[in-house]
Amino acid sequence: MDTSHSAVQNGIDGDALFRALIATSVDGIMVIDEAGTVLVYSQACMRLFGYTPGEVIGRNVKILMPEPYHAEHDGYIAHYKATSEKHIIGIGREVTGRRKDGTTFPMYLSVGEGKLGGRRIFVGIVHDISDEQEQEKQIQSLQNDLLHATRVTAMGQMSSAIAHELNQPLTAILSYAGAMQRLIDKEVPALAEIRAGLAKTAKEAARAGQIIRRLRAFVEKREPRRTREPLTAMIMDAVSLGALGLAAEGVKVEVQVDPDMPALFLDKVQIQQVLVNLIRNAVEAMHDAGERRLKVTAAREGDFAVISVADTGTGISPDVVPRLFEAFASTKDEGMGIGLSISRTIIEAHGGRIWAEENAGGGTIFRFRLPLETEAA
Amino acid sequence: MTGALIHIVDDDESVRDALGFLLLSADYAVRRYSSARQFLDSDPQIAGACLLTDIRMPDMDGLELQTQVVAQMKGLPVIVMTGHGDVPLAVKAMRAGAIDFLEKPFEDELLLDCIKRALEVGAVSAEQGNRTRAARLAIESLTPRERAVLDLLVEGHPNKIIADRLGISPRTVEVHREHVMDKMQARTVADLVRKALAADGGPR
Repeated sequence: MDTSHSAVQNGIDGDALFRALIATSVDGIMVIDEAGTVLVYSQACMRLFGYTPGEVIGRNVKILMPEPYHAEHDGYIAHYKATSEKHIIGIGREVTGRRKDGTTFPMYLSVGEGKLGGRRIFVGIVHDISDEQEQEKQIQSLQNDLLHATRVTAMGQMSSAIAHELNQPLTAILSYAGAMQRLIDKEVPALAEIRAGLAKTAKEAARAGQIIRRLRAFVEKREPRRTREPLTAMIMDAVSLGALGLAAEGVKVEVQVDPDMPALFLDKVQIQQVLVNLIRNAVEAMHDAGERRLKVTAAREGDFAVISVADTGTGISPDVVPRLFEAFASTKDEGMGIGLSISRTIIEAHGGRIWAEENAGGGTIFRFRLPLETEAA
Repeated sequence: MTGALIHIVDDDESVRDALGFLLLSADYAVRRYSSARQFLDSDPQIAGACLLTDIRMPDMDGLELQTQVVAQMKGLPVIVMTGHGDVPLAVKAMRAGAIDFLEKPFEDELLLDCIKRALEVGAVSAEQGNRTRAARLAIESLTPRERAVLDLLVEGHPNKIIADRLGISPRTVEVHREHVMDKMQARTVADLVRKALAADGGPR
């Protein structure tokens, strides 16, 4: 080792320092040459990988990697030597390590390059991130539970509207069925009418089924999952759920989706949760309004899709605006006051933004935008 | 009372269609309306008819329609259909004179029974209405003197008192009374009194 380096105080024994480093460093330290042969393998590495130094030093470092890296690592080094393109050197990234027993673990690997006696060497520092990942997973799982719970709560609050909406097809089905029994009992059974009645009965049953299906998809316990979704279908689904029972309440619902909108890469149920939340808020805001119009639009603006929910309600009082998206800042009597806060969390996790504007004709417009390409992230 | 006309008012097209389908199969005549306004503007038939209306509708709800019907279409029986959690509204409708309310979803037999009852009530009130109108017409045809005799008769006075009050002879009272009985088509004094009261008290 070059002990004249300015970072090392004069008079300190370089060899002893090196040994202390290798023995005490919490993160694993490894040094390989440009053939991938392990030159240095610290105590911490032993803990992380389960191999003793004797089993690793002198061998190719790829034994510490799972496939496909195991097979490709030699190629990586060769590629770097040929092109000097740095993929990990000087940067570091999350990779997977392979233990002696074949199990794998997530680790953060930073790699530095140096020269030792004229030879090129690579120094790797290995930080085990299993715990961090486990914690992050737990937080995500808790957050997912919360999203699920609020979806269930939202539907609970809508139970009256849902029941009303299901009563309609059920009423129709009972009427058709009763009518057909009468038609069969007639002296000359009215077959054509019975056939028409059966078709209509089936249609009504399908209508009820559709409501149940949407509902189930919405309140189902699920893992977060991003897929490529056509925007129109996703919005229509959310609107028909959020707007349940509104027609009978005299709320006019209008949906305007730019037909040229590309499909978006997103978690469909989560975005629908935002939409349903905004729609129910809008409806509540219009409770005492003379004119009750709900307008949902989606349009492309540059690299973003902008979706808006506009109402003709009472508007938001200026003193509430700064804390609008904070949890428990609600001014409403009912609900937990976390709807907008959750909506913001969802939209921001999708790389988007949500905000509120005054509706020119009275009322409020909530808008959120989502990047058109979030897949690469 | 098959052949009677049922007006169906519901903003839900499927429900409207299905109820119509059922009532047609039970040999009723049916008219469907998508809103209360459409019904009120259609100059609907009232005699031998019944109104079946949803209570939750945009623009004008079933309760308001009910109020308008009571005010403008005397004798048209009203049944309101309610959805989930609308019972307080339905009670209001009953107070405002609805014959009955049905909670959606309901069975066909329940609806048909309800309609039968409503039509009977409608027929009775129509009959009353007819009697009232006839009695009123008859009273309008009386001379002032005959009218005075009738009023005193209804108050329960005998001929002698009536004669004294009007300053005419009991014999003349007797003649007026016969004319009154004739014009009112009353067989007995009791019948006459009942008809005179019907002209006063019945629905206008």
